[in-house]
Amino acid sequence: MSYIEFENVNKQYKMGEITIDALSKTNFQIEKGELVVIVGPSGAGKTTALNILGGMDTATSGKVIVDGKDVTTLKGKELIKYRREDIGFVFQFYNLVQNLTAKENVELATQICKDSLDPDKVLEKVGLKDRKNNFPSQLSGGEQQRVAIARAIAKNPKLLLCDEPTGALDYKTGKQILKLLQNTCRKGNITVLIITHNTAIAPMADKIIYFKNGKAEKIEINQNPTPVEEIEW
Amino acid sequence: MPENKNECVVEKKFLTENNKQIGDTIRLEVEDAKNDDGEDIKYLSEDNLTIVGTVQSPLYISRDRGTSSLGAGKVNYYIYITNDNINAKDIYTNIYLKLNNSEEYTTSSEKYEDYVEDVKNDIEEIKEEREKARYDTLRKKAEDKVNDAEKELNEQKSDAESEIAKAEKKLNEAKQDIKKAESEIKTNKQKADTEFKNAEKEITKAKEELQKKEEELIAKEKQLNSLPEVSEAIKLELDQAKKEVENAKNEISKNETQLSKTKQTTNDQIKNAEKEVEKAKQELQKGEKELSKNKKEFEEKIADAEEKLKDARDKINDIEMATWYILDRNANAGYVGFIQDTDSIANIGRVFPVVFFIVATLISLTSMTRMVEEQRMQIGTLKALGYNRKQITLKYIIYAGLACIIGGILGMSIGFVILPKVIWLMYGMMYELIDIEIEFNLLFGGLGLILISVCILGATIYTVLKELRHQPSVLMRPKAPKSGNRVMLERIPFIWKRLNFSKKVTVRNLFRYKKRFCMTIIGILGCTSLILAGFGLKDSVKQIIPNQFENVFVYDMQITLKDDIAENEKEELIKELDQEERIEKIAKTYMTSGKVYNGENSEDVQIIIPETEEQLDGIIYINDTKTKNKISMKENEICLTDKAAQLLGINAGDTITLEDSDENKVEVKVSNVVENYVQHYVFMTKETYEKLYETKYETNVILTKNIELSEEEADRLATNIMDKSQVASVSNIASALKTIEDMMSLLNYVVVVLIVSAGLLAFVVLYNLANVNISERIRELATIKVLGFYDKEVYNYVAKETVILTIIGIILGLAFGFFLNYYILETCEINMLRFPKIIHGISYLYAILITVVFTVIVNIVTYFSLKKINMIESLKSVE
Repeated sequence: MSYIEFENVNKQYKMGEITIDALSKTNFQIEKGELVVIVGPSGAGKTTALNILGGMDTATSGKVIVDGKDVTTLKGKELIKYRREDIGFVFQFYNLVQNLTAKENVELATQICKDSLDPDKVLEKVGLKDRKNNFPSQLSGGEQQRVAIARAIAKNPKLLLCDEPTGALDYKTGKQILKLLQNTCRKGNITVLIITHNTAIAPMADKIIYFKNGKAEKIEINQNPTPVEEIEW
Repeated sequence: MPENKNECVVEKKFLTENNKQIGDTIRLEVEDAKNDDGEDIKYLSEDNLTIVGTVQSPLYISRDRGTSSLGAGKVNYYIYITNDNINAKDIYTNIYLKLNNSEEYTTSSEKYEDYVEDVKNDIEEIKEEREKARYDTLRKKAEDKVNDAEKELNEQKSDAESEIAKAEKKLNEAKQDIKKAESEIKTNKQKADTEFKNAEKEITKAKEELQKKEEELIAKEKQLNSLPEVSEAIKLELDQAKKEVENAKNEISKNETQLSKTKQTTNDQIKNAEKEVEKAKQELQKGEKELSKNKKEFEEKIADAEEKLKDARDKINDIEMATWYILDRNANAGYVGFIQDTDSIANIGRVFPVVFFIVATLISLTSMTRMVEEQRMQIGTLKALGYNRKQITLKYIIYAGLACIIGGILGMSIGFVILPKVIWLMYGMMYELIDIEIEFNLLFGGLGLILISVCILGATIYTVLKELRHQPSVLMRPKAPKSGNRVMLERIPFIWKRLNFSKKVTVRNLFRYKKRFCMTIIGILGCTSLILAGFGLKDSVKQIIPNQFENVFVYDMQITLKDDIAENEKEELIKELDQEERIEKIAKTYMTSGKVYNGENSEDVQIIIPETEEQLDGIIYINDTKTKNKISMKENEICLTDKAAQLLGINAGDTITLEDSDENKVEVKVSNVVENYVQHYVFMTKETYEKLYETKYETNVILTKNIELSEEEADRLATNIMDKSQVASVSNIASALKTIEDMMSLLNYVVVVLIVSAGLLAFVVLYNLANVNISERIRELATIKVLGFYDKEVYNYVAKETVILTIIGIILGLAFGFFLNYYILETCEINMLRFPKIIHGISYLYAILITVVFTVIVNIVTYFSLKKINMIESLKSVE
């Protein structure tokens, strides 16, 4: 059994009288320590899948197994606990708490986790050793995203979920961030999922899942992932 | 309305309390009245009256009817009957005047008072003349009557005297007659006696002669016999002589019989006459006795009549000078109470609405700004679509304007219709009132609406214009979150280092949202302070009675003596009171009303002068306001109660002008300002009074301290004392106390309304702010939820700030409330009352608890709102 399994996952949204199928019978597997890139046009259900996987949303039907745990059966506090201990999120717009310094933003996450990493070390790892006492507004976009990644990995999660992490960043910075994520996956042995609409970055992944119309249409396994530095778009 | 003699109308209360109905008959007993001639006449011509309806009298609007100088001194009910039913029609005791055009002025307003005062002064000018006229009429009538009586008496006297003289004369005549008769009888007797004696003598003489003749005859016979032959002639002669003697003898014996018969008759006659005289004498005696009796009676009667006449004369002198009391509505206790109650509410109305208005404006302001800010994206879209600034701004102006107008209308219908009705209803518990006339107060309504509209529209326009300055592209992205900053506290590592992470976050957040920080604190501060002020007001109001009647006036009964009662009567009463077992202690005082002047300003006061200062012990405590210690009165100086001193700006040591009821003004120094809570008083010693006004002290009011009595017993005692002839009125402090307490309870309702409104307002403020807090920080909250904060942790993340703000707000609110209460008491205070400035510990607790309860409710709502935050939606909104 794979580390993560999506089995016939359906997700329906009701918008008034219309029912939208965001996910319909989605199936895919991810192994532990893989770097997975999910690509697809907008509205294909990438984010929905990620949200369900991250415990931010629940599936209408189907099974989502993470490390042997069926996430779909989790309710309320258990779901939060799952998010808290197993998942790290990175968003397009960083979602840092503006009122906290870089280090404090990381601490915000670490103080609620049992096996958290040392915020200083994590920040050092993401290359923000000298800027840890700055407020988000004093940091560049890339730096902010790095803080967000630091915050996510400081929790020492099983799964790092990134939703368009480079969407708001310029090419160079974006590349740096992807590098960081790749390193995190490789060195930290953390399973990383990256959502992107930019197919160009797909080669960096171990596995590429193509989404279309609420389905994982195609799953490609990349035996030789390309280092980020070598990818151009 | 009653139309016939035997009909009456009563008040509703009379029917309900006595289980009567319209159509029932009652018997009305009225004391006889005296007419102008001083005769007692039956007051009513018809005692049995049929109730034909109920009425409400403006003279008795208060549920408490005040005191009366009759009966137990309390007015229980009123009743109206027809004029026809009153016999004593020429006796009027009251004239009610309705002034021309007086309806143009609002009652108790300054203009009204001035208007009435003018008329009063005019009447005052004819008062003396009319009083004299009335007095003269009464006096003249009485004098005429006495004079008539005197004349009649004199006539009767002279009549009686002449009759007596006649009778005396008659008696004397009778006496004379008797005397005459007696002497006649005597002479007649004597005469008869002599006559009888003569007759007897003659008879004896005749008898002797006869005997001689007989003897001669016998001798002759013998001679003859001795002579053998006697001539026949001689014999014949002898026989003749014998016959003659015999005849004479017969004659004599006949005469003797005659005589004795005559004697007998005469004696009888005399005896008769004597008897008659005796009878006459007896009659005379009887007559004399009767006469003397009548005489005595007559004299007594005359003396009596004269005494009565004298009494009547004295009474004429006793006829009191007629007095006109020219009173206005302010003499009606119910009216005054009502006006004072409305004044106190009006005073409260001066302070509270301002606070409410400020808070309400703040809420509306934040709501509107928030709404505009939330619609930022829409503004951007509209702008991008090509709407110009005017059009976009107008949209929000219309929205805000409508909110103001609709809210204004709703508010005014509550404020001008429902609230007055509620308060009126509460007043109805104390007063008998007609239905309230609801009036739209254009000034307050309009001003309030304009003010709040200006504030809100101004804020809306300002915010919209501020947003509109940006390009549509900027507007369509969410507002950049406020950047974080280090706070002051971080520069104090000593403290900062000790805080754990979440506390640091809390502290930083507190200072981050300064506007919200202030608003929350102001909101809670406002809530706590209003509630505290409300409770404080209640505490103060509640404390007036105990303060006045436990700390200052501790007597139980006030006995007012009638004017001009004799000194010995007064002493008698005092002695009786002294001996009364139910009375523990009495104090003799002279009380009079007066006025204290300080320059232009004046206040009405009651002047109390105890006979001796010691008597006041345990009756009235005179305590200095500052030191709270009992003071002793100084010679030639007075003590003034503190409210009057405050109103007039007088301090101990100042000299004031004190006017007594006869308008004598004197300058006197105030030795102490003394504790007092109801009305104004001036205290001074007897010596001071006598010296100041150069009049003699005279007891007119007696204050008593009774043993523990139940209300009924106290009433009975009052009635007993009231029955004494020297007493004009008796008032029980207990019943006076109840009246004031009732009055105060009204204020309590107002306070409750205030507290409830303050609480609701606070709730709205807090709820609104909590919502603002959540919506402003929704991304941050969603983020921490994503990070895996449990619901409780998310709540704590926010609530910690709320708790701290609440605590700060409450602490500041208590402090502010303390001063607000002080300020309210200063402004709300009725001139006659001194509100003790106290707030009980429990009130602080209540203020805290109520605020906390509201905060908790708001926080519970917040908890669920936080739980409901949709992370995905909140974080997605960026795209």
